[in-house]
Amino acid sequence: MSATAPSVSTVSRASGLFGAAASTDHKRIGLNMGLASLLFFLGAGVMALLMRTQLAQPHVRFVSDQTYNELFTMHGSTMIFLFVTPMAMALATYLVPLQIGASSISAPRLALSAFWIWLSGGIIMQLGWLTEEGAGRSGWFAYVPLSNSANTPGVGQDLWTVGVILAAGGLTIIGGCVLATIARRRAPGMSMMRMPVFTWTGLVSVLMVVGSFPVVILAMSLLYAERLGARVFIGYSGAIDYQDLFWFFGHPVVYVMFFPFLGAAAEAIAVNAHKRWFGYAAFVASMLAFAALSMSVWSHHMFTTGGVTNQYFATTSTALAVPAGIEYFDMVATLIGGAILLRTSMLFALGFFLQFLIGGLSGIFVASPVLDYHAEDSYIVVGHFHYTLFAGSVFGFFAGVYHWFPKVTGARLREGLGKLHFVLLLVGTNMTFLPMFFLGNDGMPRRIAEYPNHPGWGTLNLLETVGAGVIALGVLAFLVNVVVSLRNREVAGEDPWLGHTLEWATSSPPPRHNFERPLPPITSYAPLLDLRERAQRDASAVRVPAGRGGRGPWPQEGAP
Amino acid sequence: MRGGAIPVLAWACLLAVLMTGNAVWTGDAIQIGEYGFAVLTIVLVAAALVRADRTAIRRGAPEAPSRPRVEASPDLSFAAVLAAIALASILFGLTWAYFLVYFGAGLLIMSLGRLALELQAARASRERFERGSPPERPERERLP
Repeated sequence: MSATAPSVSTVSRASGLFGAAASTDHKRIGLNMGLASLLFFLGAGVMALLMRTQLAQPHVRFVSDQTYNELFTMHGSTMIFLFVTPMAMALATYLVPLQIGASSISAPRLALSAFWIWLSGGIIMQLGWLTEEGAGRSGWFAYVPLSNSANTPGVGQDLWTVGVILAAGGLTIIGGCVLATIARRRAPGMSMMRMPVFTWTGLVSVLMVVGSFPVVILAMSLLYAERLGARVFIGYSGAIDYQDLFWFFGHPVVYVMFFPFLGAAAEAIAVNAHKRWFGYAAFVASMLAFAALSMSVWSHHMFTTGGVTNQYFATTSTALAVPAGIEYFDMVATLIGGAILLRTSMLFALGFFLQFLIGGLSGIFVASPVLDYHAEDSYIVVGHFHYTLFAGSVFGFFAGVYHWFPKVTGARLREGLGKLHFVLLLVGTNMTFLPMFFLGNDGMPRRIAEYPNHPGWGTLNLLETVGAGVIALGVLAFLVNVVVSLRNREVAGEDPWLGHTLEWATSSPPPRHNFERPLPPITSYAPLLDLRERAQRDASAVRVPAGRGGRGPWPQEGAP
Repeated sequence: MRGGAIPVLAWACLLAVLMTGNAVWTGDAIQIGEYGFAVLTIVLVAAALVRADRTAIRRGAPEAPSRPRVEASPDLSFAAVLAAIALASILFGLTWAYFLVYFGAGLLIMSLGRLALELQAARASRERFERGSPPERPERERLP
């Protein structure tokens, strides 16, 4: 039984575009948000390709300096506000109610409104491209005084600011809906310590969203007032205050973009290794600690400003390695002894963990203020965050896509094309982002529209540009895979992978209220695996009668 | 729902400890203010969950309710979509064209009115269901 049965539909269904646009079904809202995010991702990818073309060789003038500034600002803003964060929220919106056995999301109208507020913000942000002065161009963090109206005049930057307010507002509201769903709509038997791993990662993410996103709304509102002529951020201390407000959102959002994809990769690994996720309780505790610490490290982005207490932030930043280590330990321990199937989702999950390791380890270096003074504003930082967000989160996202695509559509993605997609993305990602560490160490600054003919820089930059092209081919392979798989469907059935969690106990795609049959008994965080193990035990108990070394056909006392 | 507030409170406690460290070490008013806001928000979320259901602070799994809880669940809500577009229109209007602010304000009032009708219809449906009456025609047909 789902947690909220029975429910009464109060408005008749509408099909077509109107039905899809105004549906309060959490699955439709999640899907709409995911599809819109994917479109923004493609746009951000085109911007990245344009930038890489400009940087392919020294002194290339493919776009003007101002256009280059607009490109890196809008690429970063689109990836963070309009692709990775909303995709994480879309996954949570779609999957969390299914995983906890709920028939719907809490406050579905509010969730629907949140989607449209976020989408409007995204569109308004991109409308800057159509203005005479161009789109926002003061970086995705819009530091004051660079982003004030004297230094960045024009409507494009205003539209960017308003777009961020709306996008962050929408994401905060939808985060609140997911949080309320987890807290209030779990099925009977689903205690907090029986929630699936993905749901836990979703929970800590939305806690961070609710705690930190309102601060960026405040920061952007103050920036907007500043652009209208109010004197809000005055002098050096004003600039530091703005950065404090921005990064109080800006660092937690990195983890909001990481945790749900960690959950997706963890689910894919456990299912493809045919094992329970190892060390569940330690994982949950480490997630809570990880999230709390990641709310406490924001000023490591400001080490070199001289305006913050570096010791505190260096300590908390370095401490992040402990919960991260627990998660890696759990991942490795889950793989040990497992019957591993290298499906595409598993490959992406492994890619996520291995590449995020590079991002994480380079993070330990820049968590030290002494080393950060060397790395600040160089390509080392660009390499570091692309390894965490692209080589990490985006690989985790694709692990989730290959894992849950059959649940969402009822059709499997093609494994051959999936593996081609994986190989292209893996090669392209490392070709593009690994040379950044060498370039940065050699002194190449970030955010420059052209660079001098320094020995070695041209070759490494060319390698990066070719790598970006290979990434684009990988994304193309994915799109072809989606089209081919939807046109010539391989019917997936309810549970094609022998999943562990409740979303696999309903039809694919799930019905309007998620579950039309009673739910299986929820005895752990992997109820379907419990069911299969119990059936296996029962079968073997029947084969070996009690009294001859067997345990008997009845349920054992204390058995899960 | 049983146990729902426990991890929220636990996380608020962790944040409070780290915030205290920040306050002692840095003493920066902006940092303490924004961190304090985050801690307070999470504590308020936990308090709201406990206020809605006292078992939210007790350990254990949620039990099956003795009587199924009936919930009116809308399939569509144009009011929610319109309210979002109205809000976006107001902010966009501030930046681009002022008439959009008035348009957005009008749209917001309309959408809130429509939302009130939707909620009224939902309540009526739930009451009818609880009385055991057959479901009435869908709300869409009754709304102007």
